[in-house]
Amino acid sequence: MEISKYMKRHVVSIPETSTIREAAAVLVKHHIGLLPIVGKNKKLIGVVGLRDLLALELPDFINFIADVDYVHDFGAVETTRPPAKTLDKSITSLMNPAISVPEDTGLLRVYALMLQHQLHDMPVVSKDNELVGVASRVDIGAAILSAWAKVE
Amino acid sequence: MLLAAVLSTLIFLVSLVLIFSEKMNRAIVAIAGGVLMVGLGKIMHFYSEEAALEAIDFNTLGLLLGMMILVAMLEPTGFFEYLAVLAARASKGKPIRLFVLLGSITTVLSMFLDNVTTVVLIAPVTILISEILGVSPIPYLVTEALLSNTGGVATLVGDPPNVLIGSAAGLSFADFLIYSLPIVMVVWAGALFLLRYLFRSELSRRPRNAKAVMQLNPAETLNHPKTARQILIVLSAAVFFFFIHHILHIAPSFVALGAAAVALVVVQPDINEVLKRIEWSVLIFFAALFVMVGGLEASGVLESITGLFRGASSVQPVLFGVLLIWIVAALSAVVDNVPITIALIPVIHGLGETGMDITPLWWALAFGAGFGGNGTIIGSTANIIVATLSEKTRTPITSKLWVRRGLPVMLATCAIASILYTILYRWF
Repeated sequence: MEISKYMKRHVVSIPETSTIREAAAVLVKHHIGLLPIVGKNKKLIGVVGLRDLLALELPDFINFIADVDYVHDFGAVETTRPPAKTLDKSITSLMNPAISVPEDTGLLRVYALMLQHQLHDMPVVSKDNELVGVASRVDIGAAILSAWAKVE
Repeated sequence: MLLAAVLSTLIFLVSLVLIFSEKMNRAIVAIAGGVLMVGLGKIMHFYSEEAALEAIDFNTLGLLLGMMILVAMLEPTGFFEYLAVLAARASKGKPIRLFVLLGSITTVLSMFLDNVTTVVLIAPVTILISEILGVSPIPYLVTEALLSNTGGVATLVGDPPNVLIGSAAGLSFADFLIYSLPIVMVVWAGALFLLRYLFRSELSRRPRNAKAVMQLNPAETLNHPKTARQILIVLSAAVFFFFIHHILHIAPSFVALGAAAVALVVVQPDINEVLKRIEWSVLIFFAALFVMVGGLEASGVLESITGLFRGASSVQPVLFGVLLIWIVAALSAVVDNVPITIALIPVIHGLGETGMDITPLWWALAFGAGFGGNGTIIGSTANIIVATLSEKTRTPITSKLWVRRGLPVMLATCAIASILYTILYRWF
């Protein structure tokens, strides 16, 4: 069971020249959680996730206070947006190194890597590191479980 | 003997510079310096392992350890967050009221507990409160550090220099309440008014969402209300015994360690968890510094410094005391006040041997070491902590900002202390 059979071939990605604001717009438009960042010839350079962008919106106290149960109203934080200066920065400032798998990788190995790196989507690349697809946990999980029907 | 004096001074000064430059952890510097000092002393026959052990003031270490154990047990109960949340609710989101309340809580806590712990626990909640209000946390954070430095001067257990001075000079907890507390109260009020003025523009801005603080639920901050209550009862008992320790002829360290023992027996926490929260590096830093300064004393360096001061002490004793406040304050603003205090204690003892009345000098040392720390961002550990914490936020406190806000407070507190010192000199 190779990943190439189960991945989505239509991949939404952005060029490395994009800003944070543009990346957010793409995530919103396509309702997705992971955005691969590509260079020339669709070469995968890195990824940026919903979580990386949301971190800009989270208050500072989240980093210092583990237990927020007693804070019933986040008050001003709820309506605080990141400043325009931040949003116009290059997306590469939030980029994470790309974790990807080749097309012929087995499903369980992909799933294990996703667990290890806490990913919800896994980019799939060709031999020349060209982005060819993306598979979500649901894609992989459903593919694995579908085989159970044949177990006797 | 001259060579011994020069070399031991060199070891001490290089250690101070390393501690100051923050190139190396201060406990590591102190351990290496202490070992070098004993080694040098053995080679040149002025210092020995036995003498080094004798130089360590175990009364100071015991008092610090006892209080650290109590705080380490109180920390996870959420009591500090509880107080900060109460303050936030009581302020109804009004900046000036919040400023006074948070400042007062930090002061009172740091009069009895370690300043560092107090600030470490109050500052994160302060950031939370400021963020949900939609105001800058900087005025509150800076004020908390400065007022905890200032308030700590009031009591024997309030800050490490006082513990050292109390132990070396035989000053009791009650002595501090009689001689230091009244002066600190005036100085503290002065500092609060000055800070209120320096941060006037920040504090006059209306919070974007003042109502949010009313939704904070204090009860939910307490993870272990029963444990918190038990430890607070033991702490109150400890404070009571601090008041009368000189009458009972027991050392403050015995009171602190006794209270820690009672709290441990009553609560029976996971001892490894408690010990993990003890700041061992601080205790080791102190012990190693004692060893280093013991070497300085044995090599005759401190005697020569005493000699230098003796010439200066032909000036008016009052003026000498005031000068001591400012010299110690200036030094404490740029270097850790603990090594300064440990090094000056034998010098003052030496002056006492010449027949000088040194009781007022102990107070001058305490005021200088305590208030001097307000001057720079690295002046005290509390300052360093709020600055480091704020570096991880969107509104970092810079050393430039500290010069504009902290330095005036240092100058004002030292000035007020000097005036009161002069007026009350006969009383000491």
